[in-house]
Amino acid sequence: MSAYTLEIVTPTRLLEAGEVSYIRCPGTDGSFGVMSGHREAVIELDVGEIKVTQGGKDLFYATSGGFAEITKEKVQLLVETVEKADEIDSGRAEASLIRAKGRVSGADGSDSKRAEAALFRAVNRLRVSKR
Amino acid sequence: MANLKDIRDRIKSVKSIQKVTKAMKMVAAAKMRRAQENMEQARPYSIRLTEIIQNLLPDVDRGLLPLLNVREVKRVAYVVVTSDKGLAGSFNSSVLRKTQNEIDEFGKENVDVFCIGKKARDHFKSRGYTIIESHVNFWGNLNFNDAIKIGNGIVSHFLNENVDEIRVVYNKFVNVASQMVLTEQLLPLEYEADDKTVIDRLYEPSKDEIVKSLVPRHLNVQMWKYLLESYASEQAARMVAMENATTNSENMINDLTLEFNKVRQATITTEMLEIVSGAEALKG
Repeated sequence: MSAYTLEIVTPTRLLEAGEVSYIRCPGTDGSFGVMSGHREAVIELDVGEIKVTQGGKDLFYATSGGFAEITKEKVQLLVETVEKADEIDSGRAEASLIRAKGRVSGADGSDSKRAEAALFRAVNRLRVSKR
Repeated sequence: MANLKDIRDRIKSVKSIQKVTKAMKMVAAAKMRRAQENMEQARPYSIRLTEIIQNLLPDVDRGLLPLLNVREVKRVAYVVVTSDKGLAGSFNSSVLRKTQNEIDEFGKENVDVFCIGKKARDHFKSRGYTIIESHVNFWGNLNFNDAIKIGNGIVSHFLNENVDEIRVVYNKFVNVASQMVLTEQLLPLEYEADDKTVIDRLYEPSKDEIVKSLVPRHLNVQMWKYLLESYASEQAARMVAMENATTNSENMINDLTLEFNKVRQATITTEMLEIVSGAEALKG
């Protein structure tokens, strides 16, 4: 499999992921994979898990959504937050999951939407941290 | 002429002030370096997002998103970015002066103010301006969530049609020695109308959907940029101010020491004169 350059860009840091052969991203219309030679595209990302295959090894990241910009030269993931699976503090993730659950049951109206989004993010982080 | 003890006490107090200003300068320098790093880190994200938006917006209808609505400007909101702490030269006063001039020009009664930093809050509160929200005490532990929180309040104020335009006044970081006070329009979103290079690419789920989720993210990152620029400027301004204060106190210490020596010598001279004339009198 031929490799291409991946960059994960967030507002607070730039992660040079380097040469990768495959990534799988959580698009809003469903998961999609990118191999080298993909057509140019801008795809919206949802809360979920990013899988990166680099040198035969799989790396996992949790994200809270953003965009994937695919150009001929490289792939850039513009995401608001990204955390590597082994960087996630699963204790904290669990705590925030419990907090989010409490808020979902307690909130109403526009608050419940926000609480649900927080719940999704918490579940996702916990799931990725177990990878 | 002042007596020796007074001068000695003054030298002592100036020296201890100098110690404080020196320390503040070092702290500001370290914080500024970190702020600059943060700015560097934020840049790629903001640039890419802006590029995608510039590419997309000419293709979509402004009616698609309320955030793009251009309305007749009857009422505006000013977002004033200042610091919580003073001792930073003209950092806060220049922002406040510019904002107040612009607000008064537009008409105080037609302007809402969002205060970021204690200095802005205190200034506009005491002068009876309409303050919608104040955000204070977050600078010490600045992170992206602050930008989101502040941004949300401002955006919903615009979406509820309370105001027709949102302007931000902040200190842009030019370099260590200079900051520029700028007013920028945050909403409705502006863009250049020229569609230079329309790139043939796939948009998923659709152009409209992407714009819908891109614009709020873009605003978050804009807000983040304003905060970072202002924070770096604050630290730079404080560093320079404290540097000047240290130099001034150095000069003051020199002057006082000179004075001290003069007084000391004069005293010795008088004492010697007394002894000599006393001895002469005894001889007589």
